Amino acid sequence: MGAIDLPGKRDRDLMARLHGGDEDAFRGLFHAYAPTAKALAQRVVRQSHLAEEIVQEAFMAVWKNPGAYESERGSVRSWLMGMVHHLAVDLVRREEAHRRRAEASIPQALEEQADHADEVVQQLGLPEERRAVRDALAELPLEQRAVLEMMYFDGLSQSQIAERTGIPLGTVKSRTLLGMRRMRGVLEGVER
Amino acid sequence: MMGDHSLIEELLAADALGGLDDDDKARLARERSAHGACEECRSIEIGFAETAGRIAFSLTPQPVDDSMIERILSQPGAHRARQEPIAAVAGPPADELSERRAGRSRAWMGLTAAAAAIALTVVVIGSLGRGGTVAAQASTSQRFVEFAGSHTDARLAMAFTPGTPGAVLWGSGLDDPGAGQVYELWMIDDGEAISAGCVSPTDGVVAFRVDARIDTSQSMAVTNESSACPSEPTSPPILSADLPTLL
Repeated sequence: MGAIDLPGKRDRDLMARLHGGDEDAFRGLFHAYAPTAKALAQRVVRQSHLAEEIVQEAFMAVWKNPGAYESERGSVRSWLMGMVHHLAVDLVRREEAHRRRAEASIPQALEEQADHADEVVQQLGLPEERRAVRDALAELPLEQRAVLEMMYFDGLSQSQIAERTGIPLGTVKSRTLLGMRRMRGVLEGVER
Repeated sequence: MMGDHSLIEELLAADALGGLDDDDKARLARERSAHGACEECRSIEIGFAETAGRIAFSLTPQPVDDSMIERILSQPGAHRARQEPIAAVAGPPADELSERRAGRSRAWMGLTAAAAAIALTVVVIGSLGRGGTVAAQASTSQRFVEFAGSHTDARLAMAFTPGTPGAVLWGSGLDDPGAGQVYELWMIDDGEAISAGCVSPTDGVVAFRVDARIDTSQSMAVTNESSACPSEPTSPPILSADLPTLL
């Protein structure tokens, strides 16, 4: 049985229905993307309860203001994750010290957590998306991947990465660009 | 029209990942301005934003509290939106605002007053947006408030009629809020900031109707927020205004 292709048109249809206050449409989006949104927020802020707050704030914004999504600017899923990422990074930068206290123990806990949401995403065809993105990341030269992950998952700015790794800022910038170009090229080739 | 996209591409790549430092954010704003309505820039920006969003899917999904759905759905959705009281925005001191206002040009004040005379018409908004002037007799019942900000040359004003719901906000010279960012207007009521909506400028110009209770608010503020239009401010005010000080 082939995977159901939720992303794309179906997401946009759900967003359109949200304008009329369609609760089922909201539930559809929530079940499809909240687990990944939670994973992203938790990866950045390193604390589950803060991640839940971020997910709630993001989806509350979707519920209250679906018009903020502009279909010509990309997919619903990337828009959602962009919103969650922005909220998470903003929180991290405001509470840097707070985050550092928890940093040591949480990453391992994340890896060890059971994949309770897999049955949900299985139905929605997202495992293929996850595999494609993981493969794309794995294909990156290690130094490019490290810069992208520090920036995206740890909420570090380019100068912070340069400072922490001892890599010249210019090198961080060029690795960012090269890594993103490559990721974009690969992922556009496996567009869902 | 600029043909070299190497710098803006580099900046947009980092911006999509949330990794730009403040000085590079400023450089990106300058580059955006220099490139103007650039289709290639737009394509690069959308492509990188899409790529960044998809990186999230490399993570293993995490379980989310199912009751969260009901908590969200218990709030009014877009079809019957209303604003909720939220945390306060700390604006500049009143005397600082007065000082800034005093420094504003009379020409702008005149334009503000004239435009606001027919502020509830789209014609006025369009004229101002194109930099035109409006000559009309102001109604004595209408009130006008100009915003002030110490780090921007933007000009923003609001026109409203006391006792009547709604107002019109318009302005010019606003910087691009950035990718995935908008400007959000807050009405400050007894120390609580209540969102009055989000807007993105077009060529630095904004003009929109505000469905907010002007009469019960003591001041207003504008912040730069994510396009999610958050329910509480997450950044300091860029512009602010006291409502009691009416022109």
